[in-house]
Amino acid sequence: MKRLPDSRKAKRKSISYAKWGYLFIAPFFLTYAIFNLYPLILTIYNSFFENYRSGLKQVGPNFVGLANYVKLFTPDANGTIDILKYAGNTVVLWLGGAIPQIVIALLLAIFFTSHRLNIRGQQFFKTVIYMPNLIMASAFSMLFFTLFSNVGPVNQLLIQWGVVDTAIDFFSIKITVRSLICLMNFLLWFGNTTILLMAGIMGIDQNLFEAAEIDGAGSIQVFFKVTLPLLMPILVYTIITALIGGLQMFDVPQVLTNGAGTPNRSSMTLIMYLNNYLRTSKNYGMAGAISVIIFIITGLLSLMVYRSLTKKD
Amino acid sequence: MKKLMALLLAVVMVLGMCACAASDNTPATTQAPAATEKKEEPKTEATEAAPAEEGKVFNIYAWNEEFKGFFEKYYTVPEGVTVNWIINPSDGGVYQDKLDEALLNQANVADDEKIDMFLAEADYILKYVDSEYTQDITALGVTDFSNTYTYTVQAASDASGVVKGVSFQCCPSALIYRRSIAKDVLGTDDPAEVQALLDSWDKFNAVAADAKAKGYYMTSSEAETFRVFSNNGETPLVDGAGNLTLNDAIKAWQTQAKTFSDNGYTLTCDIWSDECTAQMFADGKTMCYFGPAWYFNFCMGNAQDPDKGCYGDWAICEGPQAHFWGGTWLLAATGSDNPTMLADIMDTFINDEEVCSNLIQNESQFTNNQAVNAKFAADPEYGNAFLGGQNDVAVFVELAKNIKFENKTIYDQLLTEGLQGYWREYCDGAVTEEEAMSNYYKYINEKYPEIVTP
Repeated sequence: MKRLPDSRKAKRKSISYAKWGYLFIAPFFLTYAIFNLYPLILTIYNSFFENYRSGLKQVGPNFVGLANYVKLFTPDANGTIDILKYAGNTVVLWLGGAIPQIVIALLLAIFFTSHRLNIRGQQFFKTVIYMPNLIMASAFSMLFFTLFSNVGPVNQLLIQWGVVDTAIDFFSIKITVRSLICLMNFLLWFGNTTILLMAGIMGIDQNLFEAAEIDGAGSIQVFFKVTLPLLMPILVYTIITALIGGLQMFDVPQVLTNGAGTPNRSSMTLIMYLNNYLRTSKNYGMAGAISVIIFIITGLLSLMVYRSLTKKD
Repeated sequence: MKKLMALLLAVVMVLGMCACAASDNTPATTQAPAATEKKEEPKTEATEAAPAEEGKVFNIYAWNEEFKGFFEKYYTVPEGVTVNWIINPSDGGVYQDKLDEALLNQANVADDEKIDMFLAEADYILKYVDSEYTQDITALGVTDFSNTYTYTVQAASDASGVVKGVSFQCCPSALIYRRSIAKDVLGTDDPAEVQALLDSWDKFNAVAADAKAKGYYMTSSEAETFRVFSNNGETPLVDGAGNLTLNDAIKAWQTQAKTFSDNGYTLTCDIWSDECTAQMFADGKTMCYFGPAWYFNFCMGNAQDPDKGCYGDWAICEGPQAHFWGGTWLLAATGSDNPTMLADIMDTFINDEEVCSNLIQNESQFTNNQAVNAKFAADPEYGNAFLGGQNDVAVFVELAKNIKFENKTIYDQLLTEGLQGYWREYCDGAVTEEEAMSNYYKYINEKYPEIVTP
């Protein structure tokens, strides 16, 4: 009891700047709370309600417990659970774009940074490969839609060259629709990844490469033994951001298939599914439930990647 | 010094945030009184004097440029009034979504931002007519419906018979065929003879095989005949209890669509796609289209281009079954601050003989004025050059007698779009019949949770 005033005095003497620190970071937390945390909680809350619009009339909100979730996981007449199917689609579409994207970007980054190759006109190439990223994804998608439509230039050329007799309906064949989406995502993002990975490689100490070369390591050995391990943090960062972006894939398939995810809803992504509930019916209950599921999936996947990263450290 | 600096920075930052919040708030607080003031103004004026002063901005919601074109050509806007067109595409229900948002928000916006008039189509007009968001036009002064077609007034009337709008067109739909192809396939391009050869589905289907044998398509899309079937259905798409019911007429279309696709009698594509439109050009191989006057004068606009199209190589006849398709109604929005102009527009497009005559002569329309239509139908001088000089008005006058506005629901647009889209995947062979229907039901559940699907 006696000590209390002393310690108080002592505290007062040493000036704490902590509160200023908190004050400075407060704007972030405040905006986070208003624009992220509050909507998140509201979404979870909404997912327990029946809440939609029928024409110009509002139905609900009525509390329905877990009914929306039950509906999401009820298999249809053919035995498919929709949300899992769309999650599967999303992952396939993401992998189809992300794997070539990372491989090609890695290759390009190594070529560009190699002092042996010493490629000229780097600035030009870097600009060119980054270009597609500057185009709006939906505009890019619209361009592809026009190019590959039944009366579009691609079909016209194929017919003219005698490759096919009648136009290929690219948008009614599963593999072509998916390939086009993957191709577009690849084209849009590989430049960005290349630049990131180049920065990563340039951050590695040059002496290590020289030492490896003096020891007689070939370029493949240098890549696997020196470059790749030291590039890992940047690579994992790239993969996580690509993963989160991939799970939220929307604009490219939405515009390309006019929102229908043709054929047989095989190019329907999770966010497109979510969007279906938000348009016309303004079904906040079901949309909320889907959002919560997406949130959980994203959280789990990020945790997995994070774990695998920290283990190595 | 450091402390002072930190304090200063913090204060600046907090102030900055307040400034943001303040700038967000100020317009809202100033707007609110302005809106209430404005609302009160007309009231006092109305009690004191005649409705002299009306809004300076006239807002019209539409889904394409069709009516805008006629409006700008034939309607004289009162001096000092600006007409503001808000156009959203109809595809996928975008127009309806945007319009709904605006109507639900109608009470909260300033008078000049309120919707004064909006256009609606037969597929969803009931949604707006049977609501508080449209108002009685007879009270505004539109009272003369003696020349209009009864169904157009019936469609724009709510359950208790209050009329909420007018249609500027009447939409009996016809079989539109390419004369040159008909000559090749049927041996004649005379409308009466073609009609005799195509007046039932059995004949139509048989001719499709002949057309195919000669290297033509019977229709450019498997959905081309949809309206002919669906318009003759006995039940609405959604019954009173909210169940989806696909009647026999629609099932007959489904069978035909699959047969036509499998046999190569038609292309499989959306009726609004480039692929379908390309068939309307000179080197197109398609013999038949179906549609009202608006279809060939507006949607076949490309075919009217003398360079690309085949102007004059078309003709119309009734086809296998009489039907009607669509139509654009002008509805009066509740809360409009331009009631006089609103009523005047509506009256002009149904009762002004000069405007209606111009619509027929210059725009190939079939108007909602029976007297004017009858005049052109009887005029031996009149002929539509696009249709090779055929008097289309005379054909439509006969077809218009069959129109019954029944079995319509507020859901028709999206239910129709979805059915055509998902059934096309089956026609293409991408999915099984069960998968196609299951996907269609999923689509309905997403769009309209209240509809019960099998």
